[in-house]
Amino acid sequence: MNSLLNPQTPFDSSAHDDFLEQMLSTLGPSSCSSWADETPTAPPSAGNSDNNVVFSYDDSSNLASKFRSHQISAGAAASKSSPTASAAAAAAMMLQHQLMMSRGGSSSSGNGAPMGLSLGSNGDFNDVGDGSSFKSPNPGGGDGGSSVQALFNGFTGSLSPNQPQHFHHPQGGALQAQNYGAQAAAMTQPPANGSAGASAAQPRPRVRARRGQATDPHSIAERLRRERIAERMKALQELVPNANKTDKASMLDEIIDYVKFLQLQVKVLSMSRLGGAGAVAPLVTESSEGGGDCIQTSANGGTRGGRSGNQTASSNDSMTVTEHQVAKLMEEDMGSAMQYLQGKGLCLMPISLATAISTATCHPRNPLMNGNSNNNHPVITSNGGEGPSSPSMSALTDY
Amino acid sequence: MRTSTTTTSSGITLSTKSCRIKFARRFLRSLVEIKKQKRSSASSSEEEICKRSKRIKMAAYSSMARAVGPRMNWSRALLFKLRNRVGYPRLVKKKKRVTVRSNKVSRSKSSVHIDRGNKLRKLVPGGKSMDFICLLEETAHYITCLNTQVKVMQAIADNLSK
Repeated sequence: MNSLLNPQTPFDSSAHDDFLEQMLSTLGPSSCSSWADETPTAPPSAGNSDNNVVFSYDDSSNLASKFRSHQISAGAAASKSSPTASAAAAAAMMLQHQLMMSRGGSSSSGNGAPMGLSLGSNGDFNDVGDGSSFKSPNPGGGDGGSSVQALFNGFTGSLSPNQPQHFHHPQGGALQAQNYGAQAAAMTQPPANGSAGASAAQPRPRVRARRGQATDPHSIAERLRRERIAERMKALQELVPNANKTDKASMLDEIIDYVKFLQLQVKVLSMSRLGGAGAVAPLVTESSEGGGDCIQTSANGGTRGGRSGNQTASSNDSMTVTEHQVAKLMEEDMGSAMQYLQGKGLCLMPISLATAISTATCHPRNPLMNGNSNNNHPVITSNGGEGPSSPSMSALTDY
Repeated sequence: MRTSTTTTSSGITLSTKSCRIKFARRFLRSLVEIKKQKRSSASSSEEEICKRSKRIKMAAYSSMARAVGPRMNWSRALLFKLRNRVGYPRLVKKKKRVTVRSNKVSRSKSSVHIDRGNKLRKLVPGGKSMDFICLLEETAHYITCLNTQVKVMQAIADNLSK
């Protein structure tokens, strides 16, 4: 296969010879260090200033050579305009071949071809497309892959600082054409070369990062955390009713409100058991006026009418205070009066509605409402998050 | 031992029937005890009623926590709190209820998650010492347990009022 470099366009001898030597010299020691025992036959020929590099190969590298020729043609086809790129390609070829030679030599003869195979595609060299087989060497090569990558790192490292003006573009072009596997993403971003190379060379479970995303552990951890949070939010969405909000913030609000509502329901239910028959549904409002005085409304058919009547009489004192307050506020400004009421969890409604409700539940809902006889204001719902209350008890929330 | 917190959409092992039955049994037992207490002191003053209702509520929560067992963070925290509260006066428990409309008011500089996470922490027992992800898990389980609690108590109330 002396015709390795023949399809390529003739080089400008001087500059590229130097360059080729330089590359091969940097490759030479690193490649030798990574290889165990066999001294490949290729390195002696690396010193040739002649561009026709002679490779000697054994039987196991027949396939490899075919593979290489495909590579070269692909490389040549892609980068005909840039001889320097093809020099780079040639160096890459030689590098690959050297690796394959060493692998083929060091391992048993039976494994020689598979090694070459593993470096190439998964066993099908004849149908090598435009360098697609170069995809697998890097991830599929195992330890060979990592050393290949290390060599490629050195390769690109030597390329970029030395001749940036020449190789910035063709480097990306040629290497892209040959599809150097996971390295392609890194190589097409010259500034990211070092970091991507460093991360690629480390033997840790690599998460293949998409273009534009970093592979550092912080962002990965962030992503993982976000995923877990999303999972749990989805589970919570199924539990909480009215869970059609897509916004996470409103979803959290819904959850909070629902937990509050459930806790309130437990409280109300626990109070309904006093007296055994579930007749009384007192509600404790810890207002600032009287620490812990209970405003009690009755419900449920009024079986304890007398008792509850007493209690409402006793609690009416606090209610009259509130009434006076509201009356005072109403003289000044209706809005503030409404807000005051709302803050206490009460609402204002016309008498007709109040009487209608009271006949339905056999007791007035709120003694305060009886005091506003001339009021025709519409009902202001003050219980935003109360939810469905059981028909057997009426409760005023203390939101 | 957190087999109950698998959070696939169908896989959260929620309050199963056994949990419900356990809770119901314990709760009824505590109700009977409280009723015995009532009979001894035939007081119907407001304060007494408030106290009794609070006792019933605590009985509900403690029986729920015991039915769940030490599996979940919130049940452990709840049991711990209830156990340590026995000696304390009631005043310690009272909190000033400020009408907090922080949902609509301008948000603080902290992020949205942190803001609401703190609110949620106050609601869920033992929530202060958990990170956000665990908090969400515990909230899911807590909500299901509260639901069963409400259902059982409702059923008891209905039965008693018939």
